[in-house]
Amino acid sequence: MVPQLFHLPVMERLLNYSNPEIPEGINYSKEHPLKEFFLLVVGVLLFFLSLVLILGVLAEFLASYVPFSAELKIVALQKSDEQPEAQAIENYLQTLAGRLAAVQGLPEGMTVKVHYVDSDSINAFATLGGQIVVFRGLLDIVPDENTLAMVIAHEIAHIKLRHPIKGLGRAVVIGTAIAMFNGGAGNDIVTDVLGEAGLLTALKFSRDQERAADAIALQALARVYGHIGGAGEVFRLLQQQHEKTGLITPEFFNTHPLTENRIEEINVMANNNNWPTMGFMVDLPPAFSQWLHQAREVEDGSGGQGLL
Amino acid sequence: MSDLIIFLVLLGLGYGFGRYAEQRHFRSIIAREKEFRNLPVIAARFPPAKLPPPRTRLVSGSVVVSVDYFKRFLARLRNLIGGRVKSYESLLDRARREAILRMKEEARGLGAEMVFNIKLETASISKGRKRKIGAIEVLAYGTAIIPSAGNGAAVELQQS
Repeated sequence: MVPQLFHLPVMERLLNYSNPEIPEGINYSKEHPLKEFFLLVVGVLLFFLSLVLILGVLAEFLASYVPFSAELKIVALQKSDEQPEAQAIENYLQTLAGRLAAVQGLPEGMTVKVHYVDSDSINAFATLGGQIVVFRGLLDIVPDENTLAMVIAHEIAHIKLRHPIKGLGRAVVIGTAIAMFNGGAGNDIVTDVLGEAGLLTALKFSRDQERAADAIALQALARVYGHIGGAGEVFRLLQQQHEKTGLITPEFFNTHPLTENRIEEINVMANNNNWPTMGFMVDLPPAFSQWLHQAREVEDGSGGQGLL
Repeated sequence: MSDLIIFLVLLGLGYGFGRYAEQRHFRSIIAREKEFRNLPVIAARFPPAKLPPPRTRLVSGSVVVSVDYFKRFLARLRNLIGGRVKSYESLLDRARREAILRMKEEARGLGAEMVFNIKLETASISKGRKRKIGAIEVLAYGTAIIPSAGNGAAVELQQS
């Protein structure tokens, strides 16, 4: 019989070779992929959120050690365009701000300067170096001096509490942390998700800061006018604007607490301190609307630029 | 916010389709491995030297697999944390086994009964952007041993 060479049974005998069935699961894991997914995502998010939280707190704490004089130096580097047409309105605002700052007990060397900006925006904000910016849109709708005073006192409170420099410090540190993740992970979607998580944590500081500024502003109002009459009006105005534009977003995604919450908190504070919620409302000066009209008349394209 | 929604949708699609495809592929692989159990692939370079040389042919099998979005996301998280990238492990296991099976099919088609000197090569086919791996190719190749019916020079074999 001619042996059939290179047929399997022959070779298996020659080579002492066997070819058993190999069990599954040696080179890969039988673990359900979703389990790994949830563990990893939750773990990474928790770690990143806590990192951002810690860095934010640290940054705010360290930022308050930057002296106010440094802020003034930064501001001095920027040239601000002076608008002579807005002089009248700015003088009035500055005087009002001076009265409100006096009762708040600003530390030595801290000064407040109010700027007017010709814009429809119904807003006002405080920034580095004691600068306050008030937009024409807001001035158009304030009914009396008390309401305006609440806005300005609120911004002065932000300056007193050093919120602008703290916010800047926090934003820089968190931005750097996110940029570090950018380089490490090298993936757009992962860093986008992490970036959103970081932003959400950053927003919380702003909401607490707004509440603190509200409290101090109310106190200043009560000291100057004897009651907190204009305070609720501001938030009612803001709420009206929100409803007009149809934007009602959940609190979490806003840097400012919802106006209903704020009005409630004001009433609570008024109760606790026995401040009357109503009283004599001081009218805006008779020439106020004239000043606004004057400031608006000359349309200059570069109005308000050069401010932080 | 819309970015997040798109991301989650992509993730869901990747997971759903990917998992379905993977389970199906594994079932197919296991069935065909059973079928080809009798065509062994051997890493040794030569058959025993005392035998006269058989007819030989080069046989190869290759497969290109791509990663789905879900697997890629898991791998990126692993890049941050470290550890076994389990999502890629099952993919590569499938690719290797599939490549070997395709090589076996070619060998059987030639009438071979075994393949010697089998080697595996893996290459990544990138999409062009440096850090992203688009697809992976696994190539298995070896020497198919084809027995000829009725060999002229019969050699007496020692019955062991």
